[in-house]
Amino acid sequence: MKLYFLLIFLLLSFVQKAQVQIEFCLFSDSVIHTPFKINETDSLTKFKFYISHLEVKGENKHVSEKQHYLLDFHENGSASRIISLNNVDTSSILEIEFLLGVDHKTCNEGIGEGALDPINGMYWTWQSGYINFKMEGVSDNSTAKQNKFQLHLGGFRKPYSSTQKINLTLEKETSEIKICFDLNKFLNGVNLKNQHTIMSPSKESVSLSKLAKTCFYVN
Amino acid sequence: MSIKSSFLLGGTFLVFSFYWFTDFHRAPIYYIPKPHYKLPVNPQKNDTVQLGRMLFYDNILSANNEVSCASCHNSYNAFAHTDHELSHGIYDSTGNRNAPALFNLAWQKEFMWDGAVHHIEAQALAPLHDPRELGSSIEELLIKLKSSSFYRTQFFKVFGDSIINSKRILKSLSAFELSLVSFNSKYDRIKQGQEVFTEQEKQGYLLFQNHCNRCHTEPLFSNFEYLDNGLPIDPFLQDYGRFLITNVENDKFKFKVPSLRNLSYTFPYMHDGRFDKLRKVLAHYGDIDVHSRVTDVKSIPLSFNEQSDLISFLLTLNDESFVFNKEHAFPNRLKEELIKK
Repeated sequence: MKLYFLLIFLLLSFVQKAQVQIEFCLFSDSVIHTPFKINETDSLTKFKFYISHLEVKGENKHVSEKQHYLLDFHENGSASRIISLNNVDTSSILEIEFLLGVDHKTCNEGIGEGALDPINGMYWTWQSGYINFKMEGVSDNSTAKQNKFQLHLGGFRKPYSSTQKINLTLEKETSEIKICFDLNKFLNGVNLKNQHTIMSPSKESVSLSKLAKTCFYVN
Repeated sequence: MSIKSSFLLGGTFLVFSFYWFTDFHRAPIYYIPKPHYKLPVNPQKNDTVQLGRMLFYDNILSANNEVSCASCHNSYNAFAHTDHELSHGIYDSTGNRNAPALFNLAWQKEFMWDGAVHHIEAQALAPLHDPRELGSSIEELLIKLKSSSFYRTQFFKVFGDSIINSKRILKSLSAFELSLVSFNSKYDRIKQGQEVFTEQEKQGYLLFQNHCNRCHTEPLFSNFEYLDNGLPIDPFLQDYGRFLITNVENDKFKFKVPSLRNLSYTFPYMHDGRFDKLRKVLAHYGDIDVHSRVTDVKSIPLSFNEQSDLISFLLTLNDESFVFNKEHAFPNRLKEELIKK
């Protein structure tokens, strides 16, 4: 009997299953601190977004998780957030996939708890739906009052469904994945002169969500 | 029949009857379609419904603690705001639309005049956050409820612990709202063979079936679609209805078709409460301006007598037992709590 346990234990220890850490961080040309300074005149005051349906794909199997994470880069000023996935075969991770935003089914189910609690300020109240991606700040390019800009991207109903699927390939095997969001690329792609205030599901919301999708990369 | 097969039959019957009793999506009356949301079971004794009822009537929901949901949704008016064109909020503010009546909400998928809210649980967030209504926020409400020992006790009763969060608040409120079911009008009793129409009501029913039923579809008296009924736009409100939600040009001037049940209690009529009398509503439908834009309704010219017949039918849709149901009124538990204070 004892021998059996020993054998099972040995077998289990050969299968290399462990925790994978996925670090989401911001990338900007300049030093990042709170409020996130982008250059002399431009800075962020709020930046948060939802990540869901994380999927880590290996050579022959993948681990996926439906959970929604709200990554808030404002609180305590750190420029990175770490999500840990357990029980992942770390030996052969090749690909990582996730949704930027809340999935359609969850949106349709009503009000969520935890990360999805409307108390997080990521739910539109005048019309339903989660805000997938919220960026607020000040920029010289903005023509709004006090040069502020507010980009609230979201919406799940057609034709303005803004949730994006992001797929990134890893160059080498690792148990620590670092995914960066290129702030400069995003802000250079937004025409803050005309698009300084987006607060409803719309064409702009969808096109900026598509832009945000291209700003994620593996470091 | 062998013993075995009779056991089998009996078993099947038992399973089916169990399913029927536990299928809360089933309609309360045979001619009523299945509701979209589950109806709360035994609302009088249902703690979630009763907690929702207390929240519905409690001024704690507004920023200045002076207004509640019930301020604009009065049980004695089928939860509409009789004699008020537009909804009222904190500090005497006025909203853009007429407070809609609340009943048979389980049969609607989306809420608000323009369908802005896609789920019953999310609905309360809209008036809670609107500065011209309750002017508060879910964050503020949570702080207030958490510091109230009365509500901590109530939440404990319902959920088995005293955790108060958004989901629980919204679930309770929607449970109460879903419990507001109204199918006991004269029309319903006639449907069930307990009463008969008068001659005039019968004439009115025929007119209704010919001219109104396409949108105000029986037995809920609405198809819950967003349609343009040809009302000229109010130059002050500039309210384009469904268009504000979808941004689709074709949705301009469209509003949700309201149910005609309980209509004696829910005047004034239309999304902006512009008509205080049913005659004025019928006058509008008799003379729709089809030249200025394409509408979803064509003019329905009725003689004065036909109008009287139609109205006599429409009055059979009033459900007095619903309006005077004490189970929907201000809850005693909350009254006692407020007296204690």
